[in-house]
Amino acid sequence: MITIRSWGIAGSVVDGGRVGQLWLGKPRGGAVDLESLRLANRLVGNREAACAVESSGGLSLEFGQNTTVAITGAIADVTVSAGAPVGWGSVATLPPNCTLHIGRLLDGSRVYVAVRGGVLGGTEVGQRGDQLMVGHDESGQPLTEALPRPSPSTTVGLWPGPRRDWFDEQAWTALCSSAFVVAATSRVGVRLSGHVINRSWTGELASEGVIEGAVQVPPDGQPIVMLADHPTTGGYPVIGVVSPGDIGHIAQAAVGTELRFSARR
Amino acid sequence: MKLLPYGPTAVLAEFGSLEEVMSAATAWRAAGYSGVVDIVPAARTVLVVHDATFDRESLGRPISSAETVARGELVTIDVVYDGDDLAAVADVLQLSEEEVVRLHSAPEYLVAFCGFMPGFSYLTGIDERLILPRRTTPRTRVPAGGVAIAAEFSAVYPRESPGGWHLLGRTDAAMWDADRDPPALLPPGTRVRFRPQ
Repeated sequence: MITIRSWGIAGSVVDGGRVGQLWLGKPRGGAVDLESLRLANRLVGNREAACAVESSGGLSLEFGQNTTVAITGAIADVTVSAGAPVGWGSVATLPPNCTLHIGRLLDGSRVYVAVRGGVLGGTEVGQRGDQLMVGHDESGQPLTEALPRPSPSTTVGLWPGPRRDWFDEQAWTALCSSAFVVAATSRVGVRLSGHVINRSWTGELASEGVIEGAVQVPPDGQPIVMLADHPTTGGYPVIGVVSPGDIGHIAQAAVGTELRFSARR
Repeated sequence: MKLLPYGPTAVLAEFGSLEEVMSAATAWRAAGYSGVVDIVPAARTVLVVHDATFDRESLGRPISSAETVARGELVTIDVVYDGDDLAAVADVLQLSEEEVVRLHSAPEYLVAFCGFMPGFSYLTGIDERLILPRRTTPRTRVPAGGVAIAAEFSAVYPRESPGGWHLLGRTDAAMWDADRDPPALLPPGTRVRFRPQ
């Protein structure tokens, strides 16, 4: 049993989400940084998409029994009330009644805490004092002790999107050569601030299908990159699409981070 | 049909009309292409999401066929017509409330596409006499089950949310049920009737 002493910022239980339901109006959902969720689960021997806790800091979990945990995603101030400290990408077994606290995030914007056996129950954001059940060890797979942390990339690949031709060559070049700063980030997407990307053609666009990683350009010319909880259709032109393997970098880019796009085709 | 690029995992097919969109989406879904993850119709486009094994060249130009589209399942939705906008809609359209209810519940609708939120389906086939723009000021709260109209569409709100459509009535039907397959009550291609209670 895990007791939530504090959900902190944007804390919730997440799984890998589900693809194939855009046609019914539902985005993937689940972990915004899917690779980090998978990694945390692999470390503790769970299924890759097992439920874990996602947080942007300020999370406090109290464990009722011996619990094996792993932390991935952002680098954060992590403290434990008893037992050995838990480092990024390492596995630790915490004693009963131990509290794990994820404080301020130092690098990145989302932390994942996986527990061996997985968190059972729903994937809704809860209340302080909520209790989460922990599943039984599923696989008995050997645990990895620790992993080297890949260096976070601030340059992401960008493919031309369906409305690339609503923008001239100059706008595309500006998008793929200048730096943008993360102005806001949420489960829905990341809003960037930088060079104004102007349309060369200003027609009305009927709403059309949107995917994770799509880069929309609203009338103010400041791009928005779609993440796990994106609307499934949208009326802003999609100028480009982030390479699927780079979406985790966007998901982890904290407010103020500088990002660059690198053209792919 | 025009194919537009959408990165390595998707392609967007653009059409000249909603009818072409609906027949393409229906035909492609029925074709069961291997490697296709999602087929997402919208007003003028069909988004095809796929994995690395899918060959885009295999997306055949769909033959416009009203019959393919009209073969979807028929779902009847019981509606209590007591919506907050019923009187105002009747007033603007210079009809009686009874006439609005009759016109809304007479046709067989067809789900063109979903969007806005899980299980929110855009129903085509509305009587032309009921076509009117969205409310000038959207409501901050529309109740779950709200049956509404806007422009050339009708819809049912799956859960409470803000919304700018005109509310004609309400239903108890569960528009989204995660334990159902598919979870949406009215996926694209479904035929729909509203039955006044």
